[in-house]
Amino acid sequence: MTGRVRVLAAGFGGIGTQNHQQDMYLPAVTADPRFDLVAVAPVAEGPGRARAAAEHYGVVCHESLDAALQAKDAVDLVCLAAPYERRADAVTAVLKSGKHVLADKPLAASAESAAELAALADEVGVALVPAHHLRLGAIVASVRGAVHAGRIGLPWNVQADLLVAGGDPAPGGELANLALYPVDVVLALLGLPVTRVYACGAAALPGGGQAPVTLLLDHERGVRSTVVCGRVPALRDIEPSTPVVHRYRVSGSHGVVLADARKPAAELHTAHRHTAVGTGRSTLSALLDAVWAAVRTGRTELTAWDAVRAGRVLEAAARSLRTGKPVDSRSVR
Amino acid sequence: MSRPLGVVVVGVGFIADAHIAALAAQSGARLTWLVDAAPGRLAAAAHRNGGVRATTDLAEALASDDVDAVIVCTPNDTHAAIALQVAAAGKHLLVEKPLAITVADARAVADAFSAAGLTVMAAHTHRSYDYARTVKQTIESGELGRVTLVRLAVLGGWIWPDWHAWVLEPARSGGHPLHNGVHLLDLAAWWLGTEPRSVHARGARVTSAALDIDDHLEMVLTDVRGATAICEMSRAHRPASFGHRDLLVVGTEGVLQLDWQDEAALVVDENGVTALPAATADGFAIQLAAWLDAIAGEPPVMPVADAVTAVALAVAAQRSIETGEPVLLGDLLSGAGA
Repeated sequence: MTGRVRVLAAGFGGIGTQNHQQDMYLPAVTADPRFDLVAVAPVAEGPGRARAAAEHYGVVCHESLDAALQAKDAVDLVCLAAPYERRADAVTAVLKSGKHVLADKPLAASAESAAELAALADEVGVALVPAHHLRLGAIVASVRGAVHAGRIGLPWNVQADLLVAGGDPAPGGELANLALYPVDVVLALLGLPVTRVYACGAAALPGGGQAPVTLLLDHERGVRSTVVCGRVPALRDIEPSTPVVHRYRVSGSHGVVLADARKPAAELHTAHRHTAVGTGRSTLSALLDAVWAAVRTGRTELTAWDAVRAGRVLEAAARSLRTGKPVDSRSVR
Repeated sequence: MSRPLGVVVVGVGFIADAHIAALAAQSGARLTWLVDAAPGRLAAAAHRNGGVRATTDLAEALASDDVDAVIVCTPNDTHAAIALQVAAAGKHLLVEKPLAITVADARAVADAFSAAGLTVMAAHTHRSYDYARTVKQTIESGELGRVTLVRLAVLGGWIWPDWHAWVLEPARSGGHPLHNGVHLLDLAAWWLGTEPRSVHARGARVTSAALDIDDHLEMVLTDVRGATAICEMSRAHRPASFGHRDLLVVGTEGVLQLDWQDEAALVVDENGVTALPAATADGFAIQLAAWLDAIAGEPPVMPVADAVTAVALAVAAQRSIETGEPVLLGDLLSGAGA
């Protein structure tokens, strides 16, 4: 395949007021010269958001995903942000149509469902890229490269924190939403399967919301990681739903990496605010790199199997939270 | 009392020097005796401290008219017996942490001093460091709201001597959770200010699989309100010169973060780039002053009940490492699981 990747943007679902299609994917796709937005469509939600996007970007608005897949539009990739409860069905429909997929996260409601989708993508021979974009951030990518290159010897421990300020809390708690990101990063850093999960925290707070959740992961080869994740109150000078803490510490047999994943960033001081201003490419741009590579070359560092692996850890964590006991994550299928 | 408080220091290992230096800076107290089981080491310490009286028999020092209080710096497994001897002699006590290496012994010490109307304080010195006091004050100000998460890491490379060091013998030190980890557990419990509910911990022998103790600890404390405190203590990091403290407190109204570089300047020299720590207050001096204030009747900054809880938290951590399961504090403190 040559030329620009032709994109159908389908589904405008989100958590609370969030609309990832409208706020994240469409601006990124339309700003990237490697991609060409050709149409939009709702999946199961009302048609209003899709129609507004079609008008804004000057493209066709189909009545539904099925209608879009049956239309004669030349489409290579479906950027899918279907409502959560319809996500797996929508991905299945797109994969069976032979199109590549960029799927909003989480890919599916269960690890088992994600595994079925990953297997289907492999069978059909198309790319199914989950939007685990934080693993592609500039600092995380560098750390991953350094660890894999042996800069700190063999890693034996990772500590990870992702705390997001403000924004809409996920209805099922941030274990089912935000925690996917740092878990995915830790899995990418170590490349070692998780054998056991203990989770605690996430207590319901009197004013609403939940306390941060803590995951203690045992990996193969005796390596351990601890992941903290949560949504904290809205904070001054922090844009809603952006990290106030996002960092990784990797300890190895010959050294340590300390990484603030909010970098590279400059500090902006004005009479009205003090805030960080990112100086590198966004993680979303990096995600489009991964998608473009997947569509053009058939190879990518981020596949649906990464969503399966992270999903299994999160399901084990949810079970541990319920029981108060560690869970053998290999029992999650 | 018109004269300065007369203080015996028992055990003249390296930590005793910090206590003795704090004593020397205090007008309200003075070193009157040194006690140690090793005569040669004792004589050298007495010489270093201006020929202060020295004995290998604690009872001899306790019987002296110029002794009002005792600072104990001996191996952890000796703390309880010495403390009970000090209480029986009617002297006040500052004992290096942990108060004891079992919950039952810690309780016995607390009860003995309570019955005698004497002051006992465990030297959880981190409570007297600038950073710890700042966190406590910030939490108490209410600015963070209700605390939901504490993350505290104190990391370093190997500092202990050879295989014969008592800190490496679990029977003597109680294990790493009781020896060093107890500092972090105590801070977390102090900052949270609530009743601990459970501890889940993991340990690793990173420096050598032949160690009898874990040199890397991850100890996760939860309290009755559902707050979590992750306490990470390491003597396992490489390079051995690595020194790192990291602190994060999350509340319902805000976030407090003290990054490793926030209390240090950077120095670039022929050894590369390293942190140049800020000159902070002497925690041992602040602790000693607080102990003297408590003896004089002020509320203790480190109540003995907190020291008992710290022992229980560390025992729970050690047990959790061994079983792989969370340990409920209620069982330990009630004696059911002691």
